[in-house]
Amino acid sequence: MNIPLIKSCCTDEKPVLSDGLWSSVGDQTNPCRWDGEQWASFVKYLGAKGVAVQEGRADSSVYVSDAGGLAHGMPHGVVRPSSSEDVSEVLKAAQIYQVPVTTRGGGLTTEGESIAFGGLLLDMSPLNRVLAVDPSEMTVRTEAGIFWHQLAETLRRDGLDYLSAPLNLTSSVGGTLGVGGIDINSPRLGCSADQCLALKVVTPTGEIIECSEKNNSELMDRVLLGYGQFGVITEATLKIRPFTPIIMKYFYYSSLRTAMEDLQFIAKEDCADYSGILTIMDRAINLLVAFDSDERESQFNLRWRKQLRGHGEAGFGLRAAGYYLSRPWKFQEASYLIGRRLKLFPEFTRPEYMHENKIVDRTVVFSRAVWKFWGGSKMVIPDLAAPQEKFIEAVERGNEVCRRYFRHYTLYCVGIKLSNRRERYEMSCIPPDAQDIAFGCEFEPMLRDTNYSRDYLQSFKNEIYDIGVDMGLSYYRFGGMMKGYIRKVFGDDLVDRHLAMKKKADPAMILNRDVIF
Amino acid sequence: MLRKKKERKGHEACSGCGVCLLSCPVWHGTRAMSLTRKARAKAVQGGASYEEIRHAIDACLLCGACEKACPEGIGLFDMNMHQRQELNRQRSVYPRWYPGGNMEPRCNGGNPKTGSLLLAGEMLGRDKDLCDAVIGLLGGPNRTAAAVDDGQEIARFMEAGLALDTERVDRFIMSLRPAGSLIVAEGLLHRPLRKWLPDKKILGPGEALLSTGPLRSCIGPEDLYMIESRGYHSDHERLVLFYDRLRRETGCQTNLDLQRTAISTGASSLQGRTDLKAAGCIDNAKRILKGRRVRRIVVEDLADAEAFRQATDIPVIHVGLLGSRDN
Repeated sequence: MNIPLIKSCCTDEKPVLSDGLWSSVGDQTNPCRWDGEQWASFVKYLGAKGVAVQEGRADSSVYVSDAGGLAHGMPHGVVRPSSSEDVSEVLKAAQIYQVPVTTRGGGLTTEGESIAFGGLLLDMSPLNRVLAVDPSEMTVRTEAGIFWHQLAETLRRDGLDYLSAPLNLTSSVGGTLGVGGIDINSPRLGCSADQCLALKVVTPTGEIIECSEKNNSELMDRVLLGYGQFGVITEATLKIRPFTPIIMKYFYYSSLRTAMEDLQFIAKEDCADYSGILTIMDRAINLLVAFDSDERESQFNLRWRKQLRGHGEAGFGLRAAGYYLSRPWKFQEASYLIGRRLKLFPEFTRPEYMHENKIVDRTVVFSRAVWKFWGGSKMVIPDLAAPQEKFIEAVERGNEVCRRYFRHYTLYCVGIKLSNRRERYEMSCIPPDAQDIAFGCEFEPMLRDTNYSRDYLQSFKNEIYDIGVDMGLSYYRFGGMMKGYIRKVFGDDLVDRHLAMKKKADPAMILNRDVIF
Repeated sequence: MLRKKKERKGHEACSGCGVCLLSCPVWHGTRAMSLTRKARAKAVQGGASYEEIRHAIDACLLCGACEKACPEGIGLFDMNMHQRQELNRQRSVYPRWYPGGNMEPRCNGGNPKTGSLLLAGEMLGRDKDLCDAVIGLLGGPNRTAAAVDDGQEIARFMEAGLALDTERVDRFIMSLRPAGSLIVAEGLLHRPLRKWLPDKKILGPGEALLSTGPLRSCIGPEDLYMIESRGYHSDHERLVLFYDRLRRETGCQTNLDLQRTAISTGASSLQGRTDLKAAGCIDNAKRILKGRRVRRIVVEDLADAEAFRQATDIPVIHVGLLGSRDN
């Protein structure tokens, strides 16, 4: 079959708005990238196949942006599939009529990857049934449009839980597997994609294929961490575990370097079930560790606690008080620190989510906190992923950039244990030279009430990403608006090889265009 | 210095996180993103008129869960009501579930002078034996009496977003003033009553009945306890702790999700009262039961009882019958 490449276009009707107007509501701030040729025939064809396309503004407007809130685009229409077969029909038709198809789960991308700038938007969220729970094998088979929260809700009724997932209630399973999925237990358990045992995938040409590490493993490795380029995940089999409330401990540091060294120590010694760094400021750093059982906590207290250089809250508070009392001109900084502490910490200990000093629903607690304190109508979260030996330097350099651009920002650092499936890590967030474990850091400015221009935010992201290019690192968010970095960081040979694979798998290049290629 | 009252955020504050839809019975029932609270916020941000999103406004069951789930603290419940009011100004054709008639009470006369008044609402008010049983459990007629005017017509009009007759509302409020506390079965009335009568203690029948020990002991791990969602979400900060304690003490299961919002069947909504099936209430009841091993369902709201009876063979009883011999 000789399918011509889809035509790109930039319509003049809705050009990119200038920065001065970027917050105007109702306008498409990014150009449509497809001129709608053959749309009517495409819709008619799908209708004849029993797949309805919603074309009204009320149906489409909910998809106008993503969690980043910086890119805006409208699809020509939306399909809410009810089966893998529906997805298959959509992709087959899209190849024939050369209609770009953008898949969307929770829409939690930050660089516009799940926004359709014209073409069809495939809203995967209706595919959200849990198909089978197997407590003897400790696996679950689920449709991939399901949000992790829904999955947790279902598993909890059997006293079970998933292994690891993003700290976000509305991330979808399919979307997460496509990019990795990092949790604070990833230093022990790896990313969500590595906990996947089997997939049902609809290829860009509409074939429905079952794959696992034994069966069609090449496709499995292309789709996991594949940024949606090689197929649409419609079902997944995941490892699960017994549900346990967690015991959380916090250590406080005034030195970012010391905190990062301790984070790496925890990962290396495997002394906690969960670990991560969350900063309030770069001289108020919180290293959190958590345990699934009292035994693990006791073991930690006995063997490793004293080797960590962080302080408890009281100890850190006294030191901070001494520091700020001798520097009265830093009153505003101290006030910010206290205010943040007072607002943030009660959220992690809300009585309804606690039982006997353990956090019962960590998914909910963390996700609510993430949205409440770090969320907003606009978010930029550039990140760096580094092998162990380059991590500290990368974060320190990134921190310097943050300091120049923003008064307040947060760094979130976590380790990611690597599996031996190296193929799937190629051209992904996992740095090519990482062995056994990688570390990632997100640099998140607190944008809340300040309306920064897009140029300013883009410059900030570029400076962070330039560190990655300079040090030979990788990124979690290299798609969409940041795709200009793909060749710089991965090199032409690798990108061209993947592009050739993509062209072979997706002749008309319809699936998730402009995310990577 | 007077502290400035914190302003509730509006649609513009919606970041689109989608946490609200996890608790939305309409989304769970239809999987239609366009009918969700998030979609309405995004559509309004994008300049859509209420007329353009009327299907979403009309689909809302007003359970109140989205407001409690929203991490931005947007006043979603009032916004939902407001949208209905505004939509009514623009349209001439109403959905078939809109209430007809007027707001006058079905019975006239003054309320008895007792410590507590039971505002039974439509469903409980219809079942005189159950009403008497509830009053008995609440200390008998000397301590609790059924209100002659329980405001159910006012609740209907409010839910539909229709204009309220202020004189009628004033008469209703006046009739409640002598009572020490109000036990209100119609969850939608909890919010306005707290505003109109800020000094009054407003309780749902479940909380009022289960605050005493004997009834709590009648609930066990094999029970699914259905919390009435509208009243619960109207006083969430307090009630989440009350029901969490109930769950721990009795081992019962509840319809609270992991976010501690109450999953609603939607049966007490205007749509549900008109057609349980079409409003998705029976499917919602099935979803609440999915994967649970329960032998009895205890409901605070009689409307839920009907939805569960159509969804399952598991026995359903009202909380007011917990202590009776047959249960």
